[in-house]
Amino acid sequence: MSDTLIEVNDLKIHFFTDEGVVRAVDGVDLTIERGKTLCLVGESGCGKSVACRAFLQIVHSIGKIVSGEIIYHRRVDNNFEETIDIAQLNPKGRQIREIRGKEISMIFQEPMTSLSPMYTVGNQIMENILLHTNLSKEEARQLCVQLLDQVGIPQPHRLVDEYPFRLSGGMRQRAMIAMALSCNPTLLIADEPTTALDVTTQANILDLMRNIQKEYQMALLFITHDLGVVAEIADTVAVMYLGKIVESGDVDTIFNNPKHPYTQALLRSIPKISRTREKLDTIQGMVPNPYRRPGGCPFHPRCTQAMPECSTMVPSVTRFSDGHTTRCLLYENITTKQFAELS
Amino acid sequence: MTNLVQSQSSTLTGVNNDNLMLDVKNLQLYFPITQGVFARVQGYTKAADDVSFFIRQGETVGLVGESGCGKTTVGRCIVRAYEPTGGEIIYHRADGTTVDLAKLQGDELKPYRRDIRLIFQDPYFSLNPRMTVFEIVSEVLKVNKLATPAEMKDRVVALLQRVGLRPEYMQRYPHAFSGGERQRISIARSLITSPRMVVCDEAVSALDVSIRAQILNLLEELQADFNLTYLFISHDLSVIHHICDRIVVMYVGKVVEIADATELFVNPRHPYTEALLSAVPITNPRDRQAVGRIRLEGEIADPSNPPTGCYFHPRCKYAQERCKTETPPLRNLENEHFVACHFSEELELTNVQLR
Repeated sequence: MSDTLIEVNDLKIHFFTDEGVVRAVDGVDLTIERGKTLCLVGESGCGKSVACRAFLQIVHSIGKIVSGEIIYHRRVDNNFEETIDIAQLNPKGRQIREIRGKEISMIFQEPMTSLSPMYTVGNQIMENILLHTNLSKEEARQLCVQLLDQVGIPQPHRLVDEYPFRLSGGMRQRAMIAMALSCNPTLLIADEPTTALDVTTQANILDLMRNIQKEYQMALLFITHDLGVVAEIADTVAVMYLGKIVESGDVDTIFNNPKHPYTQALLRSIPKISRTREKLDTIQGMVPNPYRRPGGCPFHPRCTQAMPECSTMVPSVTRFSDGHTTRCLLYENITTKQFAELS
Repeated sequence: MTNLVQSQSSTLTGVNNDNLMLDVKNLQLYFPITQGVFARVQGYTKAADDVSFFIRQGETVGLVGESGCGKTTVGRCIVRAYEPTGGEIIYHRADGTTVDLAKLQGDELKPYRRDIRLIFQDPYFSLNPRMTVFEIVSEVLKVNKLATPAEMKDRVVALLQRVGLRPEYMQRYPHAFSGGERQRISIARSLITSPRMVVCDEAVSALDVSIRAQILNLLEELQADFNLTYLFISHDLSVIHHICDRIVVMYVGKVVEIADATELFVNPRHPYTEALLSAVPITNPRDRQAVGRIRLEGEIADPSNPPTGCYFHPRCKYAQERCKTETPPLRNLENEHFVACHFSEELELTNVQLR
């Protein structure tokens, strides 16, 4: 029995639009361990949301999984494991619908728009329970109240019959979490769940997610652009830029010994609360137009350490110790001995 | 020369009056809640309730608080997009004379609309998609007849260059620009009238980290170049700390603490400030074990039906009987560190360890 829950190998998702092909996800490799938190970090437009939507086969219809695999190690009972390649499943098929919302569930960014205004909170949570379990309506309702209580909603018996507009942003996000937890998922995907919230609410939601993860023993895939959130919650981190994972490793390594110039620049550009006020380091330029991707390493036009060959050679994965990998030409031709010196 | 501001109800005392740009006194904005066919007034949402603070020439003042605390309302009252229902906004003109912006009406406000400008949060909604960049930036000059067409073009070109946009693109429409570039257009639009003060309402909240850093640096450069004064409204304390000289903390329409930026972080005197500071995400995973992080229970109070006494008392872990009945005034502890809490002197609050 392996500890790996999901392995993504060379996943490519392209969007075929009228103006051309957008390579939104362009060869992504990821591993999600059971019960651990993986943070996928990147700026808007880097493809992080698209990649995660592929796990549930809910990529927008103009987007196609062109190649690659998403291997899901499904634990059928305590000593048997089957593997499913989610990338091969029919988005409307029976098998993915069994997984979606039950074994893998998702929380979206905007709690204001991801709940339906037409149904009560209880109805929306119960829908998922009734669909995936054999519970009766009455039992589902009880479970629903219990879940709402667990995610810290006050007076759950009353709020279960309220419409979402009666809840504040933080409360709605809690209701979303309750919905996602309703079928005891093995993986919870959270797409920027705290971006629309205040710092105080964000801190509470992050605490809640940490506690729930411990309790449910589920894996968490956390998509964010906020490195502060990553520092709070991640076990491992994957940094994404223009459809590629440029660096991945455990959270301490990424923050304290980053190798890729993009990761380094991202970390430098967050304002630190310090006594001296220095000018912020920025990343020059901006994320390129998706229709006109730079050749070679996608980051080279903005990279301060770019070399002439960066514009033509696509960097391959360099492995440092213990799962720390990066895609950068700076490290490609260095021997193991020099690695040791570098780190 | 030190003048003491006359002591009114919760007016700030012991303020050094030198170099003031804006002196907000007991600012009040109550939105009526109406009901029924005849729109009977049922009550009021107290979006800003007795707000007092001041801004000096050339400094950056941060206004922080959770959503719904009235920080945007205060900003909009200052640019007079809203008409306050009470209080004063004393504006010190460049020549030293003063005027109360809260009392002015219609055309009387025109000269001040040039002096005090606003940058909005979301660059995707604040630019008219049917106007070119040139039209957007020059509109205010045209409307106010501040420049001839030829001058106008020169000014727009120069300013676009200054904010880091290519003037060749000024005939394009906003959709052709990314979020960071749009925010630069917004900045150019606000600076075209050579204002003295700019109210930045969450100006960098909608931007990515790397772009946010560029815009923050740009704002700082522009401040030095044009001798600007900023009122920076944000809920992000790391940004606020980075850019601001002084910080005003608001909770449910009231000011709870005002202090120098570093002082506020090192020596917070209000329990709400303490909780806000402790909610700021850490910057390194090694700090995860840090003890004493405070989490606020419950929700922010309803401004149309606020709690009695100190508005913060239902969520405050230090609350005592007195807090439930008596509203704490905003008082000067020392050196212009103002706080609205009965027990500031006695509480041992957790601060932020600055590196």
